[in-house]
Formats: sequence, C-alpha cells, structure tokens
Amino acid sequence: MRHQGIALALALGVSLSACVQTRQYADVEFTPPSGDYRLLVMRPDVTVTSLRTGGMAEPRADWTETARANIIAALKDQQAGRGGKALVLERRSGLTGVSEETVADLERLHSAVGNSIALHKYSGARLPTKRGRGLEYTLGEDAVALGRKTGFDYALFLRAEDNVASTGRIALQVLGVAGCAIGFCAPSGGSSQFAYASLVDLKTGEVVWFNVLKTGSQLPGVSFGDIRTNQGAATMVERLVGRMKPGRLVRARERR
Amino acid sequence: MCARCFDIDRRALLAGGGLLAASLTTGVAEARVRPADMTPLIGPGFKPTDADELGLWQQMHRVEEEISGSNLLIKDPAVTAYLQQLIGKVGGPAAKDMRIYLARIPDFNAIMFPTGFTVIFSGLLLRMRNEAQLAGVIAHESGHFLRRHMIRMWRDMKRKSDLFAIGSMVAGVAGAGAGVNTGQLTQLAQLGTILSLFRYNRVMEAEADAMGARLLAENGYPAAEMANTWEQLIGEMTKSARYRRKRRDRGYSLFATHPAPESRMADLRVSAAEVTVAGRAYDTGRDRYLSAIRDIRPMLLDDQVKLNDPGASQYVIETLARDGWNGLLRFHEAEVWRLRNRPGDDLRAAQGYAVAVAFPDAPADAWRWHGVSLLKQGRTNEGRSALTRYLAMKPAAPDAPFIQQMIVAGR
Repeated sequence: MRHQGIALALALGVSLSACVQTRQYADVEFTPPSGDYRLLVMRPDVTVTSLRTGGMAEPRADWTETARANIIAALKDQQAGRGGKALVLERRSGLTGVSEETVADLERLHSAVGNSIALHKYSGARLPTKRGRGLEYTLGEDAVALGRKTGFDYALFLRAEDNVASTGRIALQVLGVAGCAIGFCAPSGGSSQFAYASLVDLKTGEVVWFNVLKTGSQLPGVSFGDIRTNQGAATMVERLVGRMKPGRLVRARERR
Repeated sequence: MCARCFDIDRRALLAGGGLLAASLTTGVAEARVRPADMTPLIGPGFKPTDADELGLWQQMHRVEEEISGSNLLIKDPAVTAYLQQLIGKVGGPAAKDMRIYLARIPDFNAIMFPTGFTVIFSGLLLRMRNEAQLAGVIAHESGHFLRRHMIRMWRDMKRKSDLFAIGSMVAGVAGAGAGVNTGQLTQLAQLGTILSLFRYNRVMEAEADAMGARLLAENGYPAAEMANTWEQLIGEMTKSARYRRKRRDRGYSLFATHPAPESRMADLRVSAAEVTVAGRAYDTGRDRYLSAIRDIRPMLLDDQVKLNDPGASQYVIETLARDGWNGLLRFHEAEVWRLRNRPGDDLRAAQGYAVAVAFPDAPADAWRWHGVSLLKQGRTNEGRSALTRYLAMKPAAPDAPFIQQMIVAGR
C-alpha cells in the first residue's frame, strides 16, 4: 500500500513516451557490489494489472502470482551471475532470528525514505543544497542493526508493475491512431511497465543506489516485455538492476 | 466505503462543470431503500471466484497486512475483543468472517474494505452514547460487505469508463469526419460519467443504512439509535462551524458521495419504524458499552479536546452528558475552555475543575488543574491541598517535582 505512494510519485515524475526509460541515482562514492557479497532482497512487491478499455487498471491475482515467481527467479539468476549470494525474502517471516515486525518496520521506513527520493529526485522538487551530491539518504541505525544481525552486506527493495492492455484497449488504440487519417488523432496508452529498485548498504544504512524503470507505448500491440513470462521478467530485472553505474566521484577517479 | 467521506475533490469538479451542476439537481431526493429488500448477497465463508474480484482481494490482503501491523491501532485486548464480538453479533451471515481494527484517529469515521475487514476510528467510539449506536455503525459497514458494494462499484466504474472511452472515440472520429469539434461535448459526457459514479455510491450508502437498520433490529437493538447518531453528527458539525463563524457543509452537493446527513437521518427514522416489531424488547446496551470503553475513554476525550475544535468538543461532551455528568466529562469540559482561552475562559475553566473534583470519579489531572487555578486566585492553602491530592493519585506523574515545588512555594 505504501509502496504505491512512491510508485505514483515516480510514475508522474518520469515522463511518458514510447520507449524504455531508466534513470538511476547513486551515492557519489558508490561502487556496484561485486565479488563475494551477500545481498538480502526484501519481499518484492509485484503487481500485474489488466488495462481495461476505459483506462482502469484491474489487478489480476493469477498473473501477479506468476510474475512474482518469475521476478524472484530472475533476480536469483542475475545475482548468481554477478558472484553474489542473494536471499530473496518471499514473506516477512522469512529471515531467521529477525521478527516479522522488524522487517515490516524497515519496509515502512524505506517507504518513507523512498517517497522522499521520489519527490526530490524524480518529481522535480529538487533541493538546492543537494545539487550534484548524488544520493544522500539513509535508513540509519535500524538497517545497520539488521546487517549486523544477519550478516548481509546489502538490502534491495524492489517494486514491479506490469499493466497489460486488454483486447478492448488495443482496439481503442487502433481506432485512436486510425483516426489520424481523418484528422482526429487520439492515441492512448497501451501496455506499460513501471519498476523501481533501491539498494541499501547495510554497513552504513545508506541508500547507495536507486533506479526507476518505465516502459510504455501509445502504438497498439507494442510491448517491451511481459513479466508474466520468464523471459520478460529476466529482461525487466536486467534493465532495472543489471547496469549499476558507479557514483560520480568514483567515475571521476576512474577517468583520471 | 467510509461512513462519511465528504471531501472528494468537489471544488475541482465544480470548476469544470459549474453550469451543468447548477442545472441538474438529481440525486438529492433519492428514494429510500427499504430494509425489507436488503437481503445479504453472500453467505458465511465467502470467497471470490471471478478474476476481477480475486485481483481486488489479493491487493486488499496486502492492505490488511499493513493496517493490522500499523502503530496507529489501539491494541487494548479488552476493547478489541469487545469490537470483534460486536461485529460477530450484527455482521449477518458474514459475522464470523469479518475482522475489525480500531485506529487511534480522533475523527468520526469507519471504513469497510472489500475483503471484509473494517477500520473503526477512535473518534467514533468517543461519540457513541451506547452499544446500539456503535452496533449501528458496524452493521452499516457490514452492510457494504454483505451487499458486495466494492466489487459492484468497481464493475460499474469499469463499465462506465469503458463506455465513455468508446463513446468519446466514436464521437471524435465521427465528428472529425463531419468536421465538427466534439471536444466540449466529450467534456460534458465525462462530467456525466463522474456524476453517475457518485450517484451509485450514494445508492450504496443508502443500501448499507437500510441493511444496517435491519441487522440492528434483528439483534435486539433499537434501530432508531442509528438516526440518533446522525442527529448528533449534524449537531456537532453545526456547532463546530458556528464557532469558526462558518456555515456547516451541508453535503447537498451533487458531488457528495454520501447522501446528506439530514436525508440519511430522515430515511433511517422511517426504516427504524419499519423494522421495529411491536411488543419486542430492545436494549441500547449503554452499561455494557460504557464498561467496555472505560479504560480508553479518558484518552478518547483528551484526543478530541486537543484537536482545538472547541465548538465540536463542547458539543460532543454535552451530548455524552445527556446521559448524566461525571467527573471525567466535567474535567474535559473545563479543558476545552482552558485551551480555548477567550476572555473569561480561565475563570470558566477554574469553575469547571472545581465542579469536576466534586465527583468521585474525577481524574487526577482535574485535581492538578484545580490546584493550579486555586493558586492563581491566591487561595494558597486550598491550592496546596488539591495539588497534594493530585500527587497522591498519580505519584509517578512526570511533572511531580514541578508540582512539589509549587506546593512548597505556594504559587
């Protein structure tokens, strides 16, 4: 529920166009995790909806379940490829020795911080004092305590949405584009995806990397992957967390 | 699906369709829904089977997980058990399936979610004069679930938005073909769609009222208490607005999602008469109610008083006192005056505290403020003894050293 708040702010912030868009921010000193690191993936929040003719997004339970399983599998594959050991929490109670309540509290704290990132980094409400300073957000002591207790180096928070155009919606899109021929152009949005990922360093508690992915097209029938399929989920995970860029200062040093 | 959500973005809508809004007055005088027609649409242990409802339920499970773990909830085991038992009584066929949560929000409201869990605001418990009034609200919320309102509304919205999208597309293409700009027409149609969505919502509220009245009477409560609840709410809104030199939002608007309180109250009176069986005994359960909320009532009153809405607070306290004044109510009445702080209010509050401490149930804080007021008036000895009484009642009070000092200094 709280995640939807961030999602909404981000969805408004990243402008709509017919393509795949990602925009990532990182701590200036961020180096993407590599080698032998331990990553804790917090319960991924996945929703698949059916886009009805009139534009309402109707949640679908079966599609969501399939997509969640696909995303989790794709994340595990992707992390194994990078050399890290990842544990994907499928429910809040999945962490031995840590109470459900602690996990829930951290999720809520991240929601609050994530909302702030969405507002100040993606929705245009830029803070003049934070200019050029990368990501400067932290989950504080709670995150550090979790890391100390469980031995994980990083925590990843993730939300993925896929809105699949129904037949009626595609027909409406076709009509809208066809209308251009007689001077009534009314293209409307079709299938679209939205996702964000947030990486927290559990040694410092800081949010070190944040990425937003948005895909969508107004052309009927065009889709940029479908997370209900294995391949589509792998594509989304790759787009979202596959290409982590190092922080600004790290990049500057590398150039020198 | 809440008991009273007045503030949908009406202004924005009005700006868009002022003319049309002025010319249409449908929806204000709707026919009353008869309790006799309100049969539950689901039985015990209901589980969804359609794809859209399954999707809705799946999302709501996450919402419930979030709400049930919220630190806004009042988790007093006695109070929550009481509420659960109450919904188990007036919840009709789904009584054993529904869950009820109490949130510490000092506002008059309750919300039913599509999967059968409801959130009651603490401000609601404060305002209820007896168990029947509370059961009435719970029965109303149960009515939303029993009549499957959320999924019906979702389907209605889906149908209308689909029709609107197709309609405007066809109109646009046809208009372009004929060389006419249909933009404004489309805007009107959109307003029409929105209006009918609100209307559907009002019909459902009326259904839930009727269903609630029926459930209430079937379980031996006087259904007229539901109408009394509305009478109290209207009185409070009027007082609150008058204090702020404003007019009460009358809720007559075409855009109101809920029927105007007046018409709900009137309909409920008629419905109550319909469901009442002559010769049957009905019980308001006032004593049961008061003993159930005894432990949290001081907190409920304190939260309300601190809202700094003296008009409403005073009305609420006076309404509760219609069943008899006590030390707790008198103390909070005085608190309203003290915090209002108009000329003369300090004296009024001082008198209020003096009256409060005359009751055997006066809270410790009444003695504290009584003592402080007496010291201010120069009645040092009386003040000292009142403050001593406060410390005796609340030895672990956080301000104990400060009060100790006042007793010594006598000012």
